[in-house]
Amino acid sequence: MKSHRFIAAVAAGLVTLGFAPSAAAGSPAPADPPTKTPIKHFVVLMQENHSFDNYFGTFPGADGIPAGTCMPNSRTDPKAGCVTPFHIGGKAIIDLDHTPTVSARQLNHGKMDGFVSVFNERNREGSLAMGYYDQRELPFYWDIAKKYVLFDKYFTSAAGGSFWNHMFWVAGTAGTPRDSIPSEGLGALPTIFDRLQEKGISWKFYVQNYDPKINFRHPAEGDRGSQTVWVPLLDYARFIDDPALSSHIVDMSQYYKDLRDGTLPAVAYVAPSGASEHPPGDLQPGQRLIRTMITELMRSSAWPSSAFMWAYDDWGGWYDHVAPPQVDKYGYGFRAPSLLVSPYARQGQVNSTQLDSTSMLKFIEDNWGLRPLAERDAKANSPISAFDFSKGPRAPTFFSTVPAPHVQRANHGLLYGTYAAAVAIPTLLAGAGFFGARRRRRVRLATVRPDEGGNI
Amino acid sequence: MPTTTSTITTNETTGVAASTRAATPEPAWSPFADRLLVVAAILATAGGVFVRLWHLNTVGFNSDETVYAGQAASIAGNVALKPFFPIFRAHPMLFQTLLSTAYHGSASDLVARLFAAAAGVLTVVVVYALGKLLYGRRAGLIAALLMALMPYHVIVSRQMLLDGPLTLFATLTIYLIARFVISGRRTWLYAAGGALGLTFLSKEVGLIFVGAGYAFFALSPKIRPRWRDFGVALVVMAAVVSPYPLSMVFAGRTHTGGQYLTWQLFRRPNHSVTFYATHVPQAIGPAVLVLAVAGLWLLRRHKSWRETLLLSFVGVPIVFFALWPVKGFQYLLPTAAPLAILAGRTLAGWVPDRSADAPKRRRQGSVAVLMTVVVLATLAVPSWHRIHPTRSGAVLAGSGGVPGGREAGRWIADTVPKGAELMTLGPSMANIIEFYGHRRAYGLSVSPNPLHRNPSYSALSNPDLAIRNNDLQYIVWDSFSASRSTFFAEKLLEFVHKYNGRAVHTETVMATGPDGRRVAKPVITIYEVRP
Repeated sequence: MKSHRFIAAVAAGLVTLGFAPSAAAGSPAPADPPTKTPIKHFVVLMQENHSFDNYFGTFPGADGIPAGTCMPNSRTDPKAGCVTPFHIGGKAIIDLDHTPTVSARQLNHGKMDGFVSVFNERNREGSLAMGYYDQRELPFYWDIAKKYVLFDKYFTSAAGGSFWNHMFWVAGTAGTPRDSIPSEGLGALPTIFDRLQEKGISWKFYVQNYDPKINFRHPAEGDRGSQTVWVPLLDYARFIDDPALSSHIVDMSQYYKDLRDGTLPAVAYVAPSGASEHPPGDLQPGQRLIRTMITELMRSSAWPSSAFMWAYDDWGGWYDHVAPPQVDKYGYGFRAPSLLVSPYARQGQVNSTQLDSTSMLKFIEDNWGLRPLAERDAKANSPISAFDFSKGPRAPTFFSTVPAPHVQRANHGLLYGTYAAAVAIPTLLAGAGFFGARRRRRVRLATVRPDEGGNI
Repeated sequence: MPTTTSTITTNETTGVAASTRAATPEPAWSPFADRLLVVAAILATAGGVFVRLWHLNTVGFNSDETVYAGQAASIAGNVALKPFFPIFRAHPMLFQTLLSTAYHGSASDLVARLFAAAAGVLTVVVVYALGKLLYGRRAGLIAALLMALMPYHVIVSRQMLLDGPLTLFATLTIYLIARFVISGRRTWLYAAGGALGLTFLSKEVGLIFVGAGYAFFALSPKIRPRWRDFGVALVVMAAVVSPYPLSMVFAGRTHTGGQYLTWQLFRRPNHSVTFYATHVPQAIGPAVLVLAVAGLWLLRRHKSWRETLLLSFVGVPIVFFALWPVKGFQYLLPTAAPLAILAGRTLAGWVPDRSADAPKRRRQGSVAVLMTVVVLATLAVPSWHRIHPTRSGAVLAGSGGVPGGREAGRWIADTVPKGAELMTLGPSMANIIEFYGHRRAYGLSVSPNPLHRNPSYSALSNPDLAIRNNDLQYIVWDSFSASRSTFFAEKLLEFVHKYNGRAVHTETVMATGPDGRRVAKPVITIYEVRP
């Protein structure tokens, strides 16, 4: 008995002195340091390749597609006509080019008139860039926007493709002058996860269909190769070789297990795979993935202290009418959709704070008291204005990925009027019958002579 | 000596030598017997009202009630229920529209059932008037008493069902036809056409009573109204019926009625052909049926068009619903009123020995009153038992509320996140969940084949995929549906086990176990499932 007490006392002492083993991946959140806000779990997800106007250009109250927009087919030939924004619906789409060059030509020195011509000049169907989706294809996202927060000034961090933008997302910097993974990896460039690890704050990087064998040393061909782009940690030797770090990069299935077990980390990054919404892929798997993630978060014990924010890494070549501010040589790029779901999120707010993917870093740094990683995240705005901590956490609401069924409208006046008339007709007739019978009886009584008696 | 004289007049309009008074002269009863009857009438009327109101709201709605109350709420513009209960669904909406006037605040179960109970009490009043018109005050009084305590009518008129108003207007139609035949005034025939229209507006099967009216006139050759009067009566009926098609046309929902009719015509039978024979006589009361039939024989010397009228309104619905593949406990309710009047006629009119002297006949009257009291007792006792909630965990559709359904639905409304979707065993529990829980619910047993499902319901084409996609987050098992479909009950529980179902809520009823002890029996269990 005494030996047990001794062991317990030694263990307690070691923990107090900081000799306890580092928090293993999946350790419960209570070990995390206090936060500045009620948010104890911040989940961020990066989807792929859509501009704000492509998804929310017609969303009521948002800075959407201006009336009268018509994008020239040619930068040089005014007679070539123009393309007005159109609803894509179920029409097939292609993967529009979205390189830094395309971005620059679409921007056209701030004229914002090259969205169609840049593709036409390459003998591609440029008019597609003017297509947009709405509630019909994106019921879940639109419902979220109506009930939680939609950011309409979220700019992609870099006017380029996926790699730069994912680097800004985790490191607050482009990481490399070229928008691609260096063959030697990313070296010692710090990431937000280094900061979290230093302070013993729990974190995980959930990867859909995670294949641990794919990294910058062993890149994959085809679509699977995107794993190293969308999970920049796999381009760092230390995050591959050090089990204390690599164990934090896990398959998406672990997210649901952590929610069930109450072990959701303080900071969770999520990278999709097939459900990334990257054109020409279907949008619905992306909606379903995010719906499932949010729904399960809402059903978990973590919900009352959580926030789920997602955005799109780049604009994907689609039209967006807002010229991005130039904050450094990389960006910003065009706007992309971004939404926030949290029990503390303001209800149905279109938030116009200027944000980019480093704003997520800013929130993490502010909430958990971490040092900035680079100039960009140090100067970034936090999405904090999208929260309202003055009230208690909101009860969750689930949304469907299919449009709500049409609710019948009825002409209530007609309905009540016709049914009232229907009741009135037999009532009046029966009344006439009774009245007639009584009148006839009165007439008969009046005409009966006294000597005829009253046996009627 | 008869207390009522029978004045015979030849009616020019109907062409029938109709009696302005009861056809069966009421035998003399002692003043004590008549007083006793009045006392019994007061007690039974009070009892009839009491059994329609006692613990009226103890158990929540059943599936049909939720649909009609839900429609009423949608008509009233209830935002919470409108997405789940379309205004234009299956039936005409007279009762729902009437109820909607009281639903502009909230959709109260109690208010809906009070409307239904009021229709039930009104029916008793019309039965009295009809019985009095056809066979005299005493017969009317006894018929109304039988109707007041008849389990069949008591059970149905305690529910927010369309069959109560249907019965009211069908009985009113008989009354107005009788007034027409007796008085010869065509206004009554037109009013009967209007009442027939209201019967249809209560529930479209009310149309079969056109057949009952036709049968009556066809079987009564002495009554020959002019064709023009028939035509006017039919026009009045059409005018009264018109709100149903008109409102559908203006709402662009004409296909709804067509789809529903197609489904009803081709759906598989839901009960065996013996369903009515095994369930309805007991609910009407064997004594009432025996008296009604016995009277036809014992009082055959007084046979007139009156019995033809009543039997037409009994026979036509019985034949129709026996042939109709869809059977429902409450469907034959309109036959209850004419049967009660025939039984009342027997008790009031039959004396074993009409040639007996006055004192003996009075004694016979006292015996008739006693018989009436005994028959009423045979009705009151089962009525009393049947208005108590079920303890078996099985419910016959249309015979009452579903124990635990309201409570489970309200638990869902309070606990389950908004927007969550549930899978129930069948569409009945889905309706209850949607009404009380305000969450979308799908019945597993609803066929994906549109030919095999009620067009009002949405089917889950792939429930397994729906759970995997997180489109369904909860599964609701209930003993009532499980007792009807063991196949789907097993399938439902397979999904529960496959997707780590965790029971998050259970509703129970107190039942008597095999050892005679009272135990809590689960009737509804809500499982949370995860992909």
